[in-house]
Amino acid sequence: MKLCEFLRPASLSAARDNLRELGTKGMILAGGTALHFMQDHTPVTAVDITRLGLSYIRPDGNFYRIGATTPLSDIQRYRAPRWAMHEICRRISTHQIRNVSTIGGNICRVFPWADLPVVLLAMNARMVVYSDHENEYSADEYFATQPAKRFLDGNILTSVKVPALQAHHGFGSVKVSRTTAAFSMVTIAAVLELDGSIIQSARIAAGSAIPFPRRLPNVEAALVGKEAVSEVFKEASTKAARDVPWRSCEGQSPEYSQHLAEVSILDALERAATFAHGRAE
Amino acid sequence: MSDNPTANFKQVHHSVTKIDAKQLALGKDSYVGDLAPREALIVKMLWSPHPHARITSINVSKAEKMPGVKAVLWHGNVPRNIHCTAGQGYPEPSPYDTFIFDTKVRHVGDRVAAVAAETAEQAEAALKKITVKYELLEPVFTIDEAMAEDAPIIHDEPEAYVPIPIPYDPKKNLVAMVGCEAGDFDQGMQDADFTFDDTYETPYAQHCPIEPYTSLAHVDSAGRIVITTSTQVPFHCRRIVAQALGLPVQKIRVIKPRIGGGFGSKQEILLEDIVALVALRTGRPAFWQFTREENFITGRTRHPIRVRLRAGIKKDGTITAIGMDCWNNTGAYGGHGLTVVSCCGSKVLPLYRCDNIHFDGKVLYTNLPVGGAYRGFGATQAFFAMESTIDKMADAIGMDPLEFRRQNHIQSGDSSPIFAALGEGKEGTPMTIDSCALDDCIAKGAEAIGWDKRTDWRDKTGRYRRGIGMACLMQGSSIPHIDMGGASIKINEDGSFNLLVGATDLGTGSDTVLAQIAAEELATTTDKMIVYSSDTDMTPFDVGAYASSTTYLSGEASRKAAADAKRQILKTGAEILGLPVDQVQCVASHVQNTDGSQKVSYGDIACYALYSKNQYQIIGTGSHFTEKSPPPFAAHYAEIEVDTWTGLIRVLQYVSTIDCGTAINPALCEGQTEGGTLNGISYALTEQYLFTNGRMTNPSFAEYHIFSMRDKPPIKAILVPSYEHSGPFGAKSVSEICINGPAPVFANAIYNATGARLYEFPFMPEKVLKAIQAVKA
Ligand SMILES: Cc1cc2nc3c(=O)[nH]c(=O)nc-3n(C[C@H](O)[C@H](O)[C@H](O)COP(=O)(O)OP(=O)(O)OC[C@H]3O[C@@H](n4cnc5c(N)ncnc54)[C@H](O)[C@@H]3O)c2cc1C
Repeated sequence: MKLCEFLRPASLSAARDNLRELGTKGMILAGGTALHFMQDHTPVTAVDITRLGLSYIRPDGNFYRIGATTPLSDIQRYRAPRWAMHEICRRISTHQIRNVSTIGGNICRVFPWADLPVVLLAMNARMVVYSDHENEYSADEYFATQPAKRFLDGNILTSVKVPALQAHHGFGSVKVSRTTAAFSMVTIAAVLELDGSIIQSARIAAGSAIPFPRRLPNVEAALVGKEAVSEVFKEASTKAARDVPWRSCEGQSPEYSQHLAEVSILDALERAATFAHGRAE
Repeated sequence: MSDNPTANFKQVHHSVTKIDAKQLALGKDSYVGDLAPREALIVKMLWSPHPHARITSINVSKAEKMPGVKAVLWHGNVPRNIHCTAGQGYPEPSPYDTFIFDTKVRHVGDRVAAVAAETAEQAEAALKKITVKYELLEPVFTIDEAMAEDAPIIHDEPEAYVPIPIPYDPKKNLVAMVGCEAGDFDQGMQDADFTFDDTYETPYAQHCPIEPYTSLAHVDSAGRIVITTSTQVPFHCRRIVAQALGLPVQKIRVIKPRIGGGFGSKQEILLEDIVALVALRTGRPAFWQFTREENFITGRTRHPIRVRLRAGIKKDGTITAIGMDCWNNTGAYGGHGLTVVSCCGSKVLPLYRCDNIHFDGKVLYTNLPVGGAYRGFGATQAFFAMESTIDKMADAIGMDPLEFRRQNHIQSGDSSPIFAALGEGKEGTPMTIDSCALDDCIAKGAEAIGWDKRTDWRDKTGRYRRGIGMACLMQGSSIPHIDMGGASIKINEDGSFNLLVGATDLGTGSDTVLAQIAAEELATTTDKMIVYSSDTDMTPFDVGAYASSTTYLSGEASRKAAADAKRQILKTGAEILGLPVDQVQCVASHVQNTDGSQKVSYGDIACYALYSKNQYQIIGTGSHFTEKSPPPFAAHYAEIEVDTWTGLIRVLQYVSTIDCGTAINPALCEGQTEGGTLNGISYALTEQYLFTNGRMTNPSFAEYHIFSMRDKPPIKAILVPSYEHSGPFGAKSVSEICINGPAPVFANAIYNATGARLYEFPFMPEKVLKAIQAVKA
């Protein structure tokens, strides 16, 4: 993309009008960091949505609501009870990128290395999209395909609702990368709901080294109803191969990617279990 | 003088602030990119998409008519003068195998045609309009393929030759061959109780200076070409551009402004001929800066080298034989190929005492990216093999690897037959080691890392296993009888001095270091020095910044120039004071008698000489070439943690000791040591060139991983004092040696953690994991 013109609408509806008018010649601009990866030089008009009051994090019933243009660095710094989103944001790229890159930008056009969709899938987050009214999508629905398609006709993501983790819930994530700023070789996020030591429900998601972030239903199925112990986690992690074919990554073989994913699933589950037990005390 | 000669130093051996620090910190226009005028044409290059092909036709007519285009250069409209892009001594010990443009392309990223236009976009648009037809040729991607009986010939042009009498056989893809023997290697192997025969492979890497290759040229009002360029070798640059363009050297001026890092990459003339030609053809300034991708694909790289190391030892730890065979993949062009492989032997084999040594090095063309000079220069590759094998030797006889090294390493007063046998394109120079504080390096490093707590890998259990590894290292300081540096120094009315040096500060701080040396000699302060460096019209000659030479070689030239000026200052000062010259001395910017009761300032001496009596300019000059190349020594240590489930490695701490002789500027020495070590750490752990059909598939910092400050493990740099009598105020060199450590240190630490021995790096987790699994099996 090549930014040729720049609009800063005063309201969401004005932004939507601008975008609908511009059609394929318009582009929502949040942090603008994704332009680095969209170097096809197509001339576009940028519609800046960063001054529309969409940068915030606030508790909202059983959720934390994160405005779509909230920078990753704000999410990284935010602390509240049963809040776990900071963990992955800390691991995304550099301070400079996190200062401008937004949650919306990360999940409206999902790149293969995107980390937030993995966490939001595991967390069972809800995405709020503005057309002429607001629609809410579950993470499963929202990430079923490339979300960018959803925003072709002027729609705008306005916020993300992340469920507040309950006392018996545990969250764990793992991002394996070669350097602090590098893309992930594999990202895993896990949310476990425990009843005592028994796993009531599990949501496990993966990203990087696979074509698109997704949940791992076979891994989840191998956990539910079982005890939250290492042997069970280990056995469940071996099911990752059934869920998705793992790809070679950074010169590593597909077999290694799968192996790394399995170990990372195990680690994420251990972290989630520790989290859940810790909170239960 | 006290026993410790450094105790009396007032300028050297002090951490004076870098003289360009403020200018750079304030972001003043300093780099080539800052200096490009608005009206400069922008140059872009069409690169070969093929690893090996003949250009059967090329049509630039559409490109020439594109908006903004002022020049299109290709093989049909530029001089065809064979030359070598490597900036080395002259005549170069490298083949002349390059034309500005050729009818053949030899690697993905070889030059095809250049466009100069008003804007980058216009230049890029015009490149797309150039049509090229290629006849694809079979490519050669490995040294084995290059050596095969019926291998495709990469350099079949009849003009290719090497300007010095060394073997060069392009029909066999052979760029160079070098070897030497001392004692009787076979006998040494027979005498051994234990023998070793292992083959190690080292990978490609790019230097990744933050400032990419950048050049600017314009034609001045007298019709001369002025090239302002990010180079380590301004004088070689002038000579090579003159050769390539078929112009007299007199017609060219090369200026080096501040440089954003080079590490060897800018010891090569890759842009300057083109910007000069564009400026000549159009009469307009021409500016060319590589993108990061171009830096990777067509910039120079570290030569990947296969090292077969054979060795024998006795049960008591005596080394009876060392044999090193190296195969150097120099890529599509041969610059630095011979000298890099020579340094595999010359900078590594002397480290351990051994009577029976065999060395053989071969350099081969392939259709891959071009190797060049890179900090460490062959020693980096060979030390991986040597220091891994040293650990294996110690292990075989059940000796602590630290003790084994201490027992066998070279000492002050020792020599090595290798010094005399292996030079750069010719025989070497015999040398006896003067300063060597390697024992202290070993001891101080061991203490800092906690060597005492190191345990055998067999005692370790669990998923995460910690290991401690070490390596000893040496390098050289300049190339004897080849490198040369010059300096001049003149006094001004206020007692300040203009120090003019050919030496090239590429961010290392050498301008500061040379100023300190001159100030020390002149008994004045460093802030009195106005340093101007690296301008072929204005400054004396210097070969440039490479071979760890600047402090040792150019420093001595500066010291000599200062001493020459000092003689004149003393003479004039004595005349003013009415005293015989042998009764005065220089103290704190004054000439004074013995007790200081009579004195005259340098400023007054300058005014007297310039305006009053027997008028003359006090100006000193100095040139220096070296008789020897005294090695700096180092002992490196690391503690790492290996995740035995994934093969991932975490560096817990790294200790980098160095004996660089007198540290002229300790803070800068520590900076060089930390920087070089970190550079070596990411080379060992994460940097890799990935290829598909000869094309690098990861040419960006998103996919080629260098360590940033946030990845930096705790690195402790320890400067260990020694005094090298042949160097300026006892100095040797500091810049290259520290990159040689991390690969063997980590290999040894991985072994100490897990029992897995790796023979190639980078230590990617999959590789590490497989090695660990092999141990378990
Ligand atoms: C060098 C680098 C490394 C990176 N590494 C990682 C990494 O390891 N992991 C990771 O997860 N991310 C990483 N990122 C970030 C990621 O790749 C994206 O660049 C970033 O998430 C985009 O966010 P942004 O706010 O800058 O979005 P923008 O660039 O402004 O927009 C991105 C896309 O989303 C659309 N968009 C933005 N906001 C909305 C909205 N509210 N509604 C509808 N559409 C919208 C835009 O039109 C555009 O198509 C990295 C980025 C860089 C530059």
